[in-house]
Amino acid sequence: MNRRKALINLSLITGGIFLLPSCNFSDEKVTIILNKLQITVEEEKLLREIVATIIPEGEIPGGRSLEVHNFVWVMIDDMLNDKKQKSFMNGLKMFDPVVKEQMKNSFMDLSENERLSILKDLLNGSIKEDKSANKKDLKDIRGLVRAVKYYTVWGYMQSEYIMTEIMPYQLVPGTYGSCETIETNKRVNING
Amino acid sequence: MANINIDSKKQRTFDAIVIGSGISGGWAAKEFSEKGLKTLVIERGRDVKHNIDYPTTNMFPWEFKHRGRITEDIKKENPIASKSYIFKEDAAHFVVKDKEHPYVQEKAFDWIRGYQTGGRSLIWARQTQRLSDYDFEGPLRDGFAVDWPIRYKDLAPWYSYVEKFVGIAGDLDGIPELPDGEFLPGMKLNCIEEYFKGEVARNYKNTRHVISGRCAHITKNRDIFIKQGRSRCQYRNLCERGCPFGSYFSSNSSTIPWAMKTGNLTLINNSIVHSVIYDDQKEKATGVLVIDAKTKETVEYFAPIIFVNAGSFNSNIILLNSKSDRFPNGLGNDNGLLGKYVAFHNYRAKISAEYDGFPDNFTTGRKPTSGYIPRFRNVFKQETNFLRGYAAGFSAKRKIIQKSDGIGQELKEQLLNPTFGNWRVGSHMMGETIPKEKSQISLDENKVDEWGIPLLKVDLDYDENDEKMIKDFFEQFTEMYEKAGFTKIRTHDNKQAPGLDIHEMGGVRMGKDPKTSLLNKWNQLHACKNVYVTDGACMTSTSTQNPSLTYMALTARACDHAVKNSKK
Repeated sequence: MNRRKALINLSLITGGIFLLPSCNFSDEKVTIILNKLQITVEEEKLLREIVATIIPEGEIPGGRSLEVHNFVWVMIDDMLNDKKQKSFMNGLKMFDPVVKEQMKNSFMDLSENERLSILKDLLNGSIKEDKSANKKDLKDIRGLVRAVKYYTVWGYMQSEYIMTEIMPYQLVPGTYGSCETIETNKRVNING
Repeated sequence: MANINIDSKKQRTFDAIVIGSGISGGWAAKEFSEKGLKTLVIERGRDVKHNIDYPTTNMFPWEFKHRGRITEDIKKENPIASKSYIFKEDAAHFVVKDKEHPYVQEKAFDWIRGYQTGGRSLIWARQTQRLSDYDFEGPLRDGFAVDWPIRYKDLAPWYSYVEKFVGIAGDLDGIPELPDGEFLPGMKLNCIEEYFKGEVARNYKNTRHVISGRCAHITKNRDIFIKQGRSRCQYRNLCERGCPFGSYFSSNSSTIPWAMKTGNLTLINNSIVHSVIYDDQKEKATGVLVIDAKTKETVEYFAPIIFVNAGSFNSNIILLNSKSDRFPNGLGNDNGLLGKYVAFHNYRAKISAEYDGFPDNFTTGRKPTSGYIPRFRNVFKQETNFLRGYAAGFSAKRKIIQKSDGIGQELKEQLLNPTFGNWRVGSHMMGETIPKEKSQISLDENKVDEWGIPLLKVDLDYDENDEKMIKDFFEQFTEMYEKAGFTKIRTHDNKQAPGLDIHEMGGVRMGKDPKTSLLNKWNQLHACKNVYVTDGACMTSTSTQNPSLTYMALTARACDHAVKNSKK
């Protein structure tokens, strides 16, 4: 049970001593400021978890600690046309119901392996429509996962951390090496 | 606007007026103010000061909110500008927005402009190849347009003159059809470019050449550059943002501040030239009528010498809009040819391939030029079923393979451990197009812009000659690539409309005969000799070379002529 539900239940039990001013009873707010998209705290959290699953933490930080989800939101907000945004938001809305149908649990409550497995299934199209999901929703959900993965990869590789610590980008190279010899034991630097 | 008392006619009178501060206008500003002439440069856009007004120049990729991309809304609002490779998050502020400056496309034409101090010299591709007599004699030999009134020997000293000041990196290649100049050390070809150079020379018995593209970058510090406050190229290849080192040439980093230092230059911004004022009694132009872009007030400025350097099509607009009793169809337009015989460069065709040689090598840094292949078709004689020919770029870069089909830890491993693939090579065609009478620009008398100036109408297109040339480019380059052992050869005709080459030329062409041309061999209007046009509008034919260097040389030469003439 999440915090908001718990509070609502609490208010019911105590005979409604809280007058709920709106559905936004929780003091949690969406942390990112977007131009067009209207998103909820839950949607923001869900996307953060999807991003964190696509590129997990480890010795080298992953999508969560590099806050790649913020980049994903910015790009969805500014780069997609209205139609694609609609499809994306529908995909996001229908994502958890379909996950629950398949995995018996909300995405937030799944283990890392379960999360990976459902994302893979959604990406490769192995989930077919059934009573909980119609064709259009599945298409939107798959589109959502693809878009999130696409922008996650991009935002991750072009994060300050990766571009300074792992594959340094030189703003001022100073010289042009016209025919350098590859050092085979060194990590290939896509920004080199 | 600069501090001019516009109520006083005396204060609005100069020795020379230059319309436009782009690559050619900047040169006129420098030449005149150096020679002691009180010079007024009129720029229609805002001021952009070297370094101070380069907001993105030192930004890292991750500091751009959209990592360099243009948002959907901006793209939707700017269908034309967003086709240009310059119109990205880091340099879009130097490109004219579609809505602000509309024009009429009788046929599709993507007009990419830069309205600010420095104009498009801020965002140009910096390639600087000289023309040769195989270009100047082209129209005469092949029977199109009119004969150029000048030959290479007329311009050669002026090429040298501007090159020494601009700073041109290049090698002495000894190719008659692409004359050598005053070069700083050339930027090195990489292993594959060098390899291809050798293969092409061997396979075509030295009749085709791959060289390092000559470019307006400083590769060696010299006193003349230090005096300009410019220094050696740092291989950032972020030029279109404005260069903090002033390594590539722009009006902003070079000619304008140089002219400013003489104390003889007055630069006014946000000032749109409506027309050149012609005095029927004096039988010459006396000044220009200017509209303040913001207040829309009009002011007249006066000078005995007027240089029109507004940028090819805009120079045409100004002359067409300069109507008087003597010139009812536009200044100098006695023969009705003003705005006609415009042309451009055909940049539609690209070819790419891979090469599996040099597996142990790669490149570092970012070279701001590429290899260059001068025209090899129809140079010494007509030999194909089309007229003229094409030059081409050639560049090679080691491909990096970064798989991303996994998810989770697997994806992370893939992303962080890319591998080297084959070398990728590519060429793009730069085709000469033939100026024709029906290729024309004109004023739409029914539509005016915010300032009451008629909108430009553009009516030009590719022709059969261009299509044949594209076919030949694909055939020849496929053969050259195959002979060099390149594989996975792919040709691509992107069918782009004319314009994205940003090499629109002509409309006020030079020629010997006032009946068939607008300008004489000194770039003076035949019919109004104190008005000079030395930007792309003056071009009689287009050749294949990137034209800006020629505009600069023609400008310096014309300034010299104007000053000598005025002293007589």
